[in-house]
Amino acid sequence: MAKWGMVIDLEKCVGCQACTVACGMENNRLPGENWQDVIFFTEGTYPSAQLKWFPRPCQHCENPSCMAVCPTGATYKTEDGVVLVDWDKCIGCKYCMVACPYGVRFYTDEKPLVAPDMRKVHEGKESHSWNPPWKMPDAREDWKHGVGIQPHDVVSKCTFCYHRISKAPKGTPDLDPQDPKLREFTPACVVTCAPGARFFGDLSNPESNVSRMIGDKRGVRLLDQLGNKPQVYYLTGDGGAVPSSRAINKKV
Amino acid sequence: MNFTYPKTPSEAVSGALKMFGESHTTATIWKLSVAVLLASLAFVFYMLFTEGHAAFNTSSDGVNWGSAIATYVFFALISSGLTIIASLSTVFGFKQFYPIAKRCIWLAIVTLIAGFSVLALELGHPFRMLWAVPLGMQIHSPMFWMGVFYTIDLGLLLVKFYLMWKEDWDSPFSHFIGNAGFMAVILASGMLGLLFGSMAMRPMWFGSATSVFYILSGVLSGAAAIVFSVHLAYGFNTKNMPEPLRLLAQGDQLPKVFATLIGIVLLFLLTRIWVGLWSNIDGMEGFVALLKTPWFHIEVWVCLALPFLMMLTPSMQVDPKWQVRASFLVLLGMFIERLQFIVAGQNVPMFKGTWMNAVTPYTPSLTEWALVAVGISAALALYALGDRLFNLSDAPKVSMEAAGQLARG
Ligand code: SF4
Ligand code: SF4
Repeated sequence: MAKWGMVIDLEKCVGCQACTVACGMENNRLPGENWQDVIFFTEGTYPSAQLKWFPRPCQHCENPSCMAVCPTGATYKTEDGVVLVDWDKCIGCKYCMVACPYGVRFYTDEKPLVAPDMRKVHEGKESHSWNPPWKMPDAREDWKHGVGIQPHDVVSKCTFCYHRISKAPKGTPDLDPQDPKLREFTPACVVTCAPGARFFGDLSNPESNVSRMIGDKRGVRLLDQLGNKPQVYYLTGDGGAVPSSRAINKKV
Repeated sequence: MNFTYPKTPSEAVSGALKMFGESHTTATIWKLSVAVLLASLAFVFYMLFTEGHAAFNTSSDGVNWGSAIATYVFFALISSGLTIIASLSTVFGFKQFYPIAKRCIWLAIVTLIAGFSVLALELGHPFRMLWAVPLGMQIHSPMFWMGVFYTIDLGLLLVKFYLMWKEDWDSPFSHFIGNAGFMAVILASGMLGLLFGSMAMRPMWFGSATSVFYILSGVLSGAAAIVFSVHLAYGFNTKNMPEPLRLLAQGDQLPKVFATLIGIVLLFLLTRIWVGLWSNIDGMEGFVALLKTPWFHIEVWVCLALPFLMMLTPSMQVDPKWQVRASFLVLLGMFIERLQFIVAGQNVPMFKGTWMNAVTPYTPSLTEWALVAVGISAALALYALGDRLFNLSDAPKVSMEAAGQLARG
């Protein structure tokens, strides 16, 4: 079985947020509820301050604390290493949100992040939380795997575009968007990334491009000390850095 | 206040209805709290149907669990504390505490029901929980075990109360239920603490000390609740109380236990703050924020230190007026504590950029306050009901005499 993982090259990432937008369109996100986000932060003080950015999807942890705490088994890990939420089982207790060290989960029914409230402008039908004008085809919707427009009162998060990657030919080491045969199976954020900073492939295959890059370029993981063992690796090279703290240099 | 206590369910229902026309302290509490309960429930349901959980001020970016969870924890721990206090007589044989045992058990039942009700209104899918949790069998999840132990706890409390109602105080079965209940409640409240304590990514909660703190502060909340409710039941006038209860209420034993518990909880809180301010693990910034809120200081100085001194002062500790004041303050303090603990643990955002504050602010919305009112009024209404229907000051006759003697010293 594959163990899907992502590599993000911070030296190549330009912080354009195209991945965020692509993910929002692909997965019918409400404005502001970004499954994939690019986080901006500053380091140092004027006049030697630096503006930095950091792309952050769900890390699809090897050892996901979100899954360990879920009282119903709604949050689960698939055989191919992806962490998903079964919207038919989620009771909306939000324990997983409290337990995820990366803050990547969203509860459906909250105050709108952006005005006007799109849930009121495009009201949802049949227990969908809203009805976006650009929604994915109904055939792709799959609540058991947390794919589609989510229903009311559940938790949602990045699925690594499970509706795409799960259809990839078995045994593929890398889902490379440059390869026309694989493009439609590659996560939307990877397809869209203009500087080609994102890579997606099978971490359990030592021959895959992602595994090699992690080895050759010393891939690091976010907040690794917490033991969640993310399946998203960052390449830092000379220019990039993975924040070592979540507070990112701020005074209370 | 000489009630004739109903013997059958239909008598109980008519007794409850009759209370609307009666005039004594219990009836007043009943009428007021039923009114508040209906009004606040109506408001909460209206908001849930029109706005859904968006009517809450919780958010994915910061505080995911707000005042509703704090209210649930507040009530669940009062319930656990009351069960442990009831065990003083029913399990450990301190007979002088028998006159409050039945009231403790009833109060433990009603506070647990109040807590569960608030929790259910906070959940996205409360009905789905009924099958998804037992079928899920997620033995890794502290929340799963908390559910298991609190369900067992509630079941045992109901059986124990039924036995007490039938005046079975001393049969082997009754003792067995008492012992099992004691174990269940330690596991339940300890697991509730672990629900927070096992979160390594939330250093303000992390550690097994959270479980111990939950059990001890639960006993303190239970002690405050029983002191307050005993006086409330007799219109704040000890002359109305039956003799053994009066001796207990006017003696210095209960206040001394009470003072000790306040002392322990104070020590726990202060050492936690001390450790929090000294350690620089990422995510501990919430402690600094905590020190800056007035609520924290009200909790520590007004609601704990002050009652601590009151209950240590010989002239005050035996005076019902001061006992009532002290217990009210402690209950208020414990509510503030639950809210602060839960909010502060999530205040430092998990992983956000410059557009987030260093500490996310959170104030409960009107709907969330209404939910607090639902909890309090449900507990009070059910309490008054029990007081009217079940003779909560009842105790085994033989033990009562022994209790009187012990309390007299
Ligand atoms: S990043 Fe968070 S939500 Fe994603 S798998 Fe890890 S713990 Fe779960
Ligand atoms: S909110 Fe849903 S997915 Fe998250 S822990 Fe609760 S039941 Fe599981």
